[in-house]
Amino acid sequence: MIRYFQKALGAHFRAGRSLYVLTVFGVALGVASVLSIQIINRNALAAFEGSVTAVSGEADLSVLGLTPTISETLYPEVLATEGVAAAWPLLRVEVMLNRGELVQSLERRVFLNIVGVDFYAPLNLPWAGERNEEPVSSGPDRIGHSWLWEEGWCAVSPAMADQAGWSEGDTFDVSLGSRTTKLKVGALIDFQALSPLASPKLVAMDISQAQALFGEPGQIHQIDIVLEEEVDEAAVQAELQSRLGKSVRVVTPAQRGEQAEGLLSAFRLNLTALSLISLFVGLFLVYSSTQASLIRRREEFGLLRSIGCTPRQVFAIIVGEVALLGALGVALGIPMGYWVAEANVEKVSATLSNLYLLEEISSLELPWWLYAMGIVIGIGGATAGAILPALDISRRDTRSLLAAFTLHEKIGSLAPKLFGCGAAILTITLVWYLSFGHTWKHAGFAMGVGLLLGLPLMTPLTVQATCSRIRVRRFSLGYSLRGLGVRLQTTAFAVASLAIAVSMLIGITLMIGSFRTTLEVWIGTSVQADIYVAPTSWRGKGSEGTMDAETIEVLTRHASVVAVDRLRGFIGYSSMRSNEDEWVNHRIGLAGVEMGLSNGDVRFPLLQGDRDEAYRRSTEEGAIFVGETLARKLDVWVGDDLTIHTPGGPRPFPVAAVYYDYSTEGGAAAMDLRTMVEAFGPGGINSVALYLQVGQDPERVVDDLKASLPDAPLQIRSNRRLREQVFRIFDQTFAVTQLLKGMSLVIAVCGIALMLIVLAREQVSELALYRSIGATRQQLFRIYVGKGLGMGALGLLLGLFGGILLAALLIFVINRAYFGWTIQPSVAWGAIAQQCATILGAATLASLYPALRASRTPATELSRENL
Amino acid sequence: MNTHALEFRNVSKVYETDGGDRLAALDEVSFVIEPGKTVAIVGRSGSGKSTLLHMAAGIDIPTSGDVSIDGQLLADLSEGDRTLLRRNRIGLIFQFFYLMQHLSVYDNVALPSMIAGDAPGLVEPRVMELLERVGMADRSRDRVQKLSGGEMQRVAICRALLKRPRLLLADEPTGNLDDENGRMVMELILSLAREENGTLIYVTHSPDFAGMADETMQIHSGKVIA
Amino acid sequence: MPVCILLLLVALPLGGETEWRTAREDYAWSFPEDHWARDGYKTEWWYFTGHLEAETGERFGYQFTIFRVGLVGDRPEIASSWTAKDLVMGHVALSLLPDPTGRTAATTGEGKNGGRHRFSEVVYRASALLGGFGTYPDSLIAWCRPPAGTEGDWRLTWNGTGFDFEMKDDGRGFEFALTTRPIKPMVFQGPDGFSRKSHGTTSASQYYSFTRMATEGTLKVDGRTFPVTGNSWMDKEFGSNQLGEQQVGWDWFSLQLDDGREVMLYLLRDKNEQIDYASGTLVDASGETRYLTRDEFDLSASGTWTSPDGITYPSGWRLLLPTADIVCDIEPELADQENRSSIVPTMRYWEGAVRVTDTAGQGLGQGYVELTGYGDSSRPAL
Repeated sequence: MIRYFQKALGAHFRAGRSLYVLTVFGVALGVASVLSIQIINRNALAAFEGSVTAVSGEADLSVLGLTPTISETLYPEVLATEGVAAAWPLLRVEVMLNRGELVQSLERRVFLNIVGVDFYAPLNLPWAGERNEEPVSSGPDRIGHSWLWEEGWCAVSPAMADQAGWSEGDTFDVSLGSRTTKLKVGALIDFQALSPLASPKLVAMDISQAQALFGEPGQIHQIDIVLEEEVDEAAVQAELQSRLGKSVRVVTPAQRGEQAEGLLSAFRLNLTALSLISLFVGLFLVYSSTQASLIRRREEFGLLRSIGCTPRQVFAIIVGEVALLGALGVALGIPMGYWVAEANVEKVSATLSNLYLLEEISSLELPWWLYAMGIVIGIGGATAGAILPALDISRRDTRSLLAAFTLHEKIGSLAPKLFGCGAAILTITLVWYLSFGHTWKHAGFAMGVGLLLGLPLMTPLTVQATCSRIRVRRFSLGYSLRGLGVRLQTTAFAVASLAIAVSMLIGITLMIGSFRTTLEVWIGTSVQADIYVAPTSWRGKGSEGTMDAETIEVLTRHASVVAVDRLRGFIGYSSMRSNEDEWVNHRIGLAGVEMGLSNGDVRFPLLQGDRDEAYRRSTEEGAIFVGETLARKLDVWVGDDLTIHTPGGPRPFPVAAVYYDYSTEGGAAAMDLRTMVEAFGPGGINSVALYLQVGQDPERVVDDLKASLPDAPLQIRSNRRLREQVFRIFDQTFAVTQLLKGMSLVIAVCGIALMLIVLAREQVSELALYRSIGATRQQLFRIYVGKGLGMGALGLLLGLFGGILLAALLIFVINRAYFGWTIQPSVAWGAIAQQCATILGAATLASLYPALRASRTPATELSRENL
Repeated sequence: MNTHALEFRNVSKVYETDGGDRLAALDEVSFVIEPGKTVAIVGRSGSGKSTLLHMAAGIDIPTSGDVSIDGQLLADLSEGDRTLLRRNRIGLIFQFFYLMQHLSVYDNVALPSMIAGDAPGLVEPRVMELLERVGMADRSRDRVQKLSGGEMQRVAICRALLKRPRLLLADEPTGNLDDENGRMVMELILSLAREENGTLIYVTHSPDFAGMADETMQIHSGKVIA
Repeated sequence: MPVCILLLLVALPLGGETEWRTAREDYAWSFPEDHWARDGYKTEWWYFTGHLEAETGERFGYQFTIFRVGLVGDRPEIASSWTAKDLVMGHVALSLLPDPTGRTAATTGEGKNGGRHRFSEVVYRASALLGGFGTYPDSLIAWCRPPAGTEGDWRLTWNGTGFDFEMKDDGRGFEFALTTRPIKPMVFQGPDGFSRKSHGTTSASQYYSFTRMATEGTLKVDGRTFPVTGNSWMDKEFGSNQLGEQQVGWDWFSLQLDDGREVMLYLLRDKNEQIDYASGTLVDASGETRYLTRDEFDLSASGTWTSPDGITYPSGWRLLLPTADIVCDIEPELADQENRSSIVPTMRYWEGAVRVTDTAGQGLGQGYVELTGYGDSSRPAL
């Protein structure tokens, strides 16, 4: 049997090369799309964990603040705690690398992660030698404590030094807030030796210099702790937590990982869901190609059965062959997935830092389980796709295999029933959602699955009904379409898989378009000032990127400026009592603004709360405004209190309003600057918004301000420029989504090509007949292109239907449940039209090769087979 | 310049088998058929009858020798021109009918005109006329799946005659039919060919049907022997 | 001439900007101020060793050392409490000595926190949060945080006549707070406190001692508290280059004889295990000093002891000092009194209580011995 399998496989491969190639390609694309997303997902976390490992790899526990910084006086407290074997303080600041031009585009900013360490603490830092030199055993021998006294002394990773072309002794400028600081490469520390995924952008400095240059006196960010062996980790953790107070959290490395994982879960889930759609489409391709190859080979199986092959053996031959194709697909898909991930990691990385304020991904690793997953998906998926057709064939009796095949009619007569099933699935899902499903967080995905199942089931009848209505008058497009309805077995699959891909394409396009429009409206109201000034280095993350008073003074003094809004922002933590009666902390963006600014009330478009009353309470009672995402996440609304950790401990703030917020996924809250100072202590201003006299040209004032602050690392942007940048970031955020759309479209288009090749093979006699009764090659070519176009059009039709449903799902259910964003639906007609044209164009393109093959069918093929 | 309806001059067709052997399907075949004649080709399976018919239709081209139709040397024509020649001057009838399952009786008959791009309005009378003559006019809207073998072949005959071909080629038109239907179809083909003043060449195994032709040509191992 | 093992930890700054002061023969001493930290010198230490006895008969040997390691000459002008110009390093050891009378039934020593010799160490940058050095006339001379996991501070203060010091290490299960009072006057080690370490002039230190100080206080081991009394020896030494280039280690002896005299000896060894330089001081009962030359005394090892890491130290000596009419045997109270650093894993030295007897084994006195630079890995990485 094995021998037969081997021989037959070779022969079939030679005979149906393009069929097999497309099948393999389909599997490969499916694997690649899932894998690439998983690689990116995995590495988004790994980037975080890698940097954690590089900096705190040896630590059993870390003390982190629930306020932007923690007091360094906690360090001796930690040291004095029983069970602690060693501990060291860390100061962590993200600064921007100045590279020549001062004002850099947002996208091209390079950030360095400054880590202030105590070089005399028992850290095992992997000091590296100069490039191409042997590593030196320990730092101090060679460096001689320069980190203490040589201003700006820092140690960079060899990777960063290579990238930037730095050698020991070189200097470079970084900026934080409105300050620019010169740093000097004093040594190399190979952080990647500690954790291969550590960011090469880690820069170590002595904590004294880091604090003086980038921090605040007396403040640090983290304390890492190594415990004595054989102590009860949880007990020490609890002891530390109670000793250090509520404004810090004492966490294990695993807990830090979980936190990042939790932060990214919605993002990762969405990407995974989208990649699974690509896989689904890919599996369709496998299913239909298997089906096609089986139809072609039915006589072979009939013969095998008639000479004594058991159904089991036939089944094994079919599944074995498909598994082999799956394996080839995996072999192709894994490198492809890696490549796709690599090509897109930068965009995802940007999203992570824009939307989640997390570490950038700087390198990729592929752990073994991702290979395993690729293999399971590829081979398992392909085999799964083949099982039904294989069972069908193997169970048939020998006679019906040798006789003309009747599956076409079978599916034709089944079409109404399938349609009914599909419609029922859609209806049941909808009814389920409306009745009780909506309380479940993942209901949106369940409905998505319903849609993905329902739509393909509805396809055969749609194809049949559409095609049979076409009156054939000419040997042209109508004739092509008419033929599609007959070959339902083949065409319905191609159409269904295209429909799924198109649904995704259209659904996401509608969602993103709606989101964009919503954002436009939101920015239109919330971004009201004429000019926005922020340090180039500020990303809303740390509290250190502040502007000094003189700079603000210069900005404010400009003759055209009538009002100034100042913003102070940092990451804080809210505290909620969970159902289990435990206090749970949530990472939130906190903003302090001039709540009393006249005409400033439009900055926060309110979802809930009385406008005048809300502003009054915010200025007089220290009440806060809560962003919609946070309100939904924590279920905190007007009238509730939101507890936020302050240096003085957790403090409840009354909620005066809930505003539409699309700025971060984690959630945000805003308060009056004075409230912030009172609760969190004095702190610098992170950005400034300027309101100009009526009639002033903002661009001209921007130029003025730039001229008066020539060397300041500031982004001074007009309202218009800020909006443009916001949208650039927005588009970047969805870049991966676009990629996934593209990939599933490619798979679907492959499906069309595959189906047409199958058709061209199946219809050899028919084609020969056309040729023999006078159809030219060009005519056959056009007929086939017409078929491709027809499948494209049908897929588009169904896909539009599915896409609208999917968009509704994304906008009203999924986004709200996962991100807490209210999106106003709107249709981007232009984008939709463009995509329709793309789909039809792609379908046409996909049919060119099969059409060429069909047109080359010689008329002599006629006598070989029945029609 | 002769005006034979069909002329074969020293036509040979050699196929190469997978093993590299050469197999002569036709071997130096020469004959002429005058316009309006009906000719039956007889011979055993594999004797080269179908190959000869394919050569005559310009579907296949000879390895050596010349085939000309109405004095037109096929070798002088491009592939596209041969297609047009087939479209306009040749009608083909097959053993297995080769009807399009997804088309109606009418559309199957009208297919050559669709391919030729003739105006549907002009074609309709001709289609109906032919269907009338084979007794299938009342079935014109039916799907071909519902037809019997004899009916299918009658539809196929209409399709072959639609464009009033000068040369009608039939490859065992009765081979897939029972005797009664076979005879009816054979008679229909002959009478229609004569009514349309066309030249008819058909392949048959049946001596009876062969006898109905003006001339008989016997082929054996790729050679015309009578 | 105690440890300058810290050279293991911190080598000379290369290309640093600091010009360290060096030991001088004409150093202008000023007491009590010179008991406090002397800036400008690269290394400085306060070094206490002694023998203590509890009322209940338990005997202990102890070592309490605070080092100042100069990193830069002046505190960098950086606005941070973490900036530092020194490291503060503490080495404390406690030896639970055997009781020859058998009265205490050996109740201490094999607790969960360690054996009979326990070593505790800290290294911190001298900064407000972690440790530092006081200035005259404040009583505080030096302080630092204890090892991680322990509350409280390690402190060294001047009590007007002597020194008070306290330490605690919960992890190793011992702590003590002792107060000392000189019984004999302070002596200079070397003429005018200039202690030469080689035949050249460059390697030397400023060095003085209190060779006999009455000591009392409390000591706690594995939860048991012992009021203790005894005798201590104090060294204060500072300088910037104490070792000659060819020297790899030294043997140092401080002996308190029952007849009221004290002997200090030091022998610096070169790479070939030969004595490169040696000297000593004899203090008579009245406190008068006489400096000993190399050829005045003979010290020969009578045995060896090999550490768990395989380092072989001499263990037991016979000292012949005919000019002072001294012939005695020096025997370790415990064989294993090796200090094994975990902060700097290559740092190993033997520092322990010894007993001085005549050749017949009759007690003549007590002392402390320090042996450094034995074994390849424990050599200072010069």
